[in-house]
Amino acid sequence: MAEKSPVKEAASSESIPISNSNQLKPSPQLPSKFSSQTAPNSEVPSTPTSRPPSADADVVYVPSYSRWFSWDKIDSCESRFLPEFFDGRSASKGPSLYIYYRNSIIKLFRENPSRKITFTDVRKTLVGDVGSIRRVFDFLDHWGLINYSASSALSKPSKDTGSNIKSSDSPSVESPSSAAPTSKHSSNSRRICGACKSLCTIACFVCDKYDSTLCARCYVRGNFRVGLSNADFRRVEITDEAKADWSEKETLLLLEAIMHYGDDWKKVAQHVGGRTDKDCVAHFVKLPFGEEYLGHPLSNDDESGFETNKRMCLTPLADASNPIMAQAAFLSALAGVEIAEAAAQAAVSVLSQVDDITASRVGSGSLERNSKQETEISSNGDTNQNALERAAYADANSLLDKEEQDIERAITGITEVQMKEIQDKFLRFEEMDLQTEKERQQLESMKNLLFIDQLNLSFRRNYT
Amino acid sequence: MKSPASASWKAPLKFRMPTAENLIPIRLDIEVDGQRYKDAFTWNPYDPDSEVVMFAKRTVKDLKLAPGFLPQIVQSIQSQLATFRSYEGQDMYVGDKIIPIKLDLQVNHTVIRDQFLWDLNNFDSDPEEFARTLCKDLGIEDPEVGPAVAFAIREQLYEIAIQNVTSARENRISKKGRRAAEHFTPSKASGAALDLMKLFSFRSSVVRKRKEWDYYKPVLDLLSNEEVDALEAKEERSGR
Repeated sequence: MAEKSPVKEAASSESIPISNSNQLKPSPQLPSKFSSQTAPNSEVPSTPTSRPPSADADVVYVPSYSRWFSWDKIDSCESRFLPEFFDGRSASKGPSLYIYYRNSIIKLFRENPSRKITFTDVRKTLVGDVGSIRRVFDFLDHWGLINYSASSALSKPSKDTGSNIKSSDSPSVESPSSAAPTSKHSSNSRRICGACKSLCTIACFVCDKYDSTLCARCYVRGNFRVGLSNADFRRVEITDEAKADWSEKETLLLLEAIMHYGDDWKKVAQHVGGRTDKDCVAHFVKLPFGEEYLGHPLSNDDESGFETNKRMCLTPLADASNPIMAQAAFLSALAGVEIAEAAAQAAVSVLSQVDDITASRVGSGSLERNSKQETEISSNGDTNQNALERAAYADANSLLDKEEQDIERAITGITEVQMKEIQDKFLRFEEMDLQTEKERQQLESMKNLLFIDQLNLSFRRNYT
Repeated sequence: MKSPASASWKAPLKFRMPTAENLIPIRLDIEVDGQRYKDAFTWNPYDPDSEVVMFAKRTVKDLKLAPGFLPQIVQSIQSQLATFRSYEGQDMYVGDKIIPIKLDLQVNHTVIRDQFLWDLNNFDSDPEEFARTLCKDLGIEDPEVGPAVAFAIREQLYEIAIQNVTSARENRISKKGRRAAEHFTPSKASGAALDLMKLFSFRSSVVRKRKEWDYYKPVLDLLSNEEVDALEAKEERSGR
């Protein structure tokens, strides 16, 4: 019953068609959890509009962290998670048995990929003891090689308005946010006990040898695999924050609050609402800044980098102010600096024909963020329309310049820090090098001494 | 527990299944609220106890049984496990025993009848492997037959192993002592245990006599739906 349908992987936006005969090399990748598809119209394998039309009904999706899977080979992560088959304790329970179980389970699932296959279906058809079958089944389930129908893996489209991009989006309950990949990351996803499959709350125990996680109860009861002892586990605390991932809205609020209040974490926590100040600090520190948004500061994408920064700065702020200004800020952020300038100029000139204070404020307010300056300009607007135009324009320009300078300074600061890091690393490596050299010399001298001793001994023996 | 057989030439072994994997057969037959659940599978007694509960939960969920099944399933499995464990520490005598194993199963649409010889002394034997090969050779398409065959074999082996233990205990009690090992071959009737000597003596050959061929051939029948229903009805009637 050789499977002939091509298996497609759901990478971020391209699909890699894989036929079953030529496999990818089984590299033990760190399973980072990508959201499966960002194209929203490819939910059902049988009617994808963006996929190639060949073999629509036979397409099976496999998450990209399971890319190592191959019909004929056993990957190192398999031998790690299911050691019972590979430690040679029993002659009949070997890798070939594991391959038989695994392949039959996957074949059974792929006969009808839209239907979730249950463990009971599987164990009724497989010859063997149900305990090991269940373990293989759970392993495949966690790694998305079975029961990974597209409907169960929701994808949150990553917002590109510069809001925080965390790689652990929280998908629906059924998708495999499993203990296996998360025990490798120290990310904020849930920890699930490997033995009893319950959510770990207060503390859990992690075994690094086999990369398994056990809840406190299972650890105390001794429900781990044969071959492990108490000493192999280390305790890992899980705070309450780990149970509740930060949603995008909360991170937005957090950034906004930080912009406003700076270092006053109490106010920040208030603004975010629902998080203590310590949580906010911890989360803020963990946010991936800098590298994510600046990219290569020396590339041509300077402007876009700056703009995303600005977007980040502008949009949260814009939310706080009145809606018209929010709109204008948003539009100007989207449009770009020069365009916004030009638009503002045009708007101001048009509006100057209308003797309206609020209108002029909007025109100039779209380019600045400081409320003090706002009142200044509005007061100017009271007096003279021409002066208003010029003042607005000049102010806008100066503000832009200042901002650019700020950003440049920030970037240089960051690059300096990074260079210092690298330098430190170099120093450390040199030290290590010296040390190893010294050790080597020591060993050499010891070797020589031993040789001399040996010679002495053999001489003495010859004489006696 | 003194083992008087230390002087005999057959050392007693600790009770275990005479197969490579020490797995035990578990049979479930539970009725709750008019729903009947019958099942048979092999279990690894060295799995942690939480495994039992988990298995029961999954089975109830997958088969959409009433939740009243859960404690009964758990209890049944645990009692069978406890029985096994009670035998575990004890000695069992195995002589040179080749026993015939009979299969007579009906799984969905397939009926299989077979008889073959099995060496009890071979602790590397693997009923699962045998079942897989049997299904492959006979071209059985129904994947549920394999586990059923393996289970049947294991069940019979388990029975015999238990009998070995009880007979050893009896013999020790009746103080037959070291003669226990030789005595119990003909008296234990789990189908006649064949005498190795007779079978493989230099006068007879290993090749089976022609008239016995049919006896030892597997018979495979595929039933149609009506026959399956008829069989089921007959079984229910006889069960009542």
